[in-house]
Amino acid sequence: MSVDPATLRVGETLKLRITARLDENLLQLDNVTLPDLAGFESLGDERRCGTNGRGTLCEETMTLTPTEPGDHTIAPTTLEAIDGRTGKPSRFATNPVVVHVTPAPQANPFALWLLESLGILVFVAVAGYALLWGFRRRRLPPLEPAQPERKPVMLPVDRLAQLLASLAQDPSRVRVLAVREELRRRAGARDGETLGDLVARRAAGGDTALTDALGAIEAPAFVDEPYVLDEVKRALPILERLLTAAAASP
Amino acid sequence: MNNDFVEGAGVAPKMLLEALQATIVGQETTLEALLHALIAGGHILLEGPPGLAKTLACRALASAAAGSFKRIQFTPDLLPSDIVGTRIFDQRAGAFATVLGPIFANIVLADEINRAPAKVQSALLEGMQEYQVTIGPETHRLPNPFIVTATMNPLDSEGTYALPLAQMDRFLVKVLVGYPSVEEEGRILERFGGEMPALPRDVVSMADVMRWRAQARAVYVEPRLSRYIVDLVSATRAPHEYIDRGASPRATLALAALARARAYVDGRSFALPDDVRAAAPAVLRHRLAFNYKTITDRVEPEALIGGIVASVTAP
Repeated sequence: MSVDPATLRVGETLKLRITARLDENLLQLDNVTLPDLAGFESLGDERRCGTNGRGTLCEETMTLTPTEPGDHTIAPTTLEAIDGRTGKPSRFATNPVVVHVTPAPQANPFALWLLESLGILVFVAVAGYALLWGFRRRRLPPLEPAQPERKPVMLPVDRLAQLLASLAQDPSRVRVLAVREELRRRAGARDGETLGDLVARRAAGGDTALTDALGAIEAPAFVDEPYVLDEVKRALPILERLLTAAAASP
Repeated sequence: MNNDFVEGAGVAPKMLLEALQATIVGQETTLEALLHALIAGGHILLEGPPGLAKTLACRALASAAAGSFKRIQFTPDLLPSDIVGTRIFDQRAGAFATVLGPIFANIVLADEINRAPAKVQSALLEGMQEYQVTIGPETHRLPNPFIVTATMNPLDSEGTYALPLAQMDRFLVKVLVGYPSVEEEGRILERFGGEMPALPRDVVSMADVMRWRAQARAVYVEPRLSRYIVDLVSATRAPHEYIDRGASPRATLALAALARARAYVDGRSFALPDDVRAAAPAVLRHRLAFNYKTITDRVEPEALIGGIVASVTAP
């Protein structure tokens, strides 16, 4: 198990890599017990397993961002795997790792401006809705008795909404890749499939908003670093349309 | 490179492509490959039966790009001097004079390149790699841009010579030219049944092509994508039941150049995994040495290449 980098600030991201290398050809990796990640927020994870005839290499990569400063020890991880030849389970334990987190620097002016703009937009939208609601209410028949309160349901768009909010705040490549990974997961992308292959395979599916979003996130994921911010600005409205479409669908 | 600048620049290559499409019916892959090779600065090998407009496509490209065009028909009795030129004794001057061969053109069509023996095919090597030709004691620069488009007929192998691997490697891409659809063949009859239509002329200039090349070279390839390109090419060198020899690092450079050219034509300043994936078969197919088992087991080389490409994880 390794982290890169081992020293960082609050708000920055690190990669936690858990690697299992075995001489046998494994059918599957089972019962992966991930370490306690208190003090970190997960931005996404990816698991890959491959055999080359001589053995198996499995790698789990998690993108994490620390939420509080200090020295955080990530406890050992255990992996239970079934040997393809014997069929018996085997247990593997990793080393613990220590991550040193320093306090975050002051927020950059762009993020503040973006947050401020988003706040104004939300305020205008809420005010507009309230006016419209008040107008409509005068014309509607009397309200029926109140329904029993429903428990909030975690919609699948929430994770994407969270990632998009993070991207709007910090338009960095790491955030872009986290959004891209989530979109690909939603689209059912196979490991290593390009966008062209994925879209061709999904052609019959016809989810235009998701296809557009997948296309829009490619540019900030592969453009030269100085243009990431420009491409994120172009992509955000298209990505937000996906949220709107998902929220509107039954 | 500025993103908006590339978006504007991508328009002109598309104009050239549209001009070619207005002349040639179908053959979209061939025309796109010609354009990409022109921008990537590479040579192109076209393999297909006779009568599929391979020569016409090359002529149309030269005419539309306002470049010089020469065609060399490769035959078993061709000599290297018939390609690069020779030195003759001028009796009046009492000295040797150099007569430059047909290789001195922007676009050279080497028709049925495998009909001439290896020493003649190799006469193209210096020109294709170094963009210069040595005749006797003198070295002459070739025109810039310089592209060799060579054709091969896969059906009629009698009296042909295999191309040396060193020369095969110097072709940026090998494009398989297939038969048109029934609908396309009907349109071919309409367009070419009577008088031969005029070729598109001077749609762009050679100076434009040189500018595109410079801009395409600046297209950004993200480090994960560079790694993908390297992984793809090195995957061909892994031990394989049907492949004796994989592609060289020249293929890695060719794949990156072609991916950049595709991105540039698409108006982007950065390449995508799909650019690499789309370019890979044309870059790899002539660089792999398939063994006899592909014939005995009736395995299609194209399927093998597709399998290798699909086995490498795209970023």
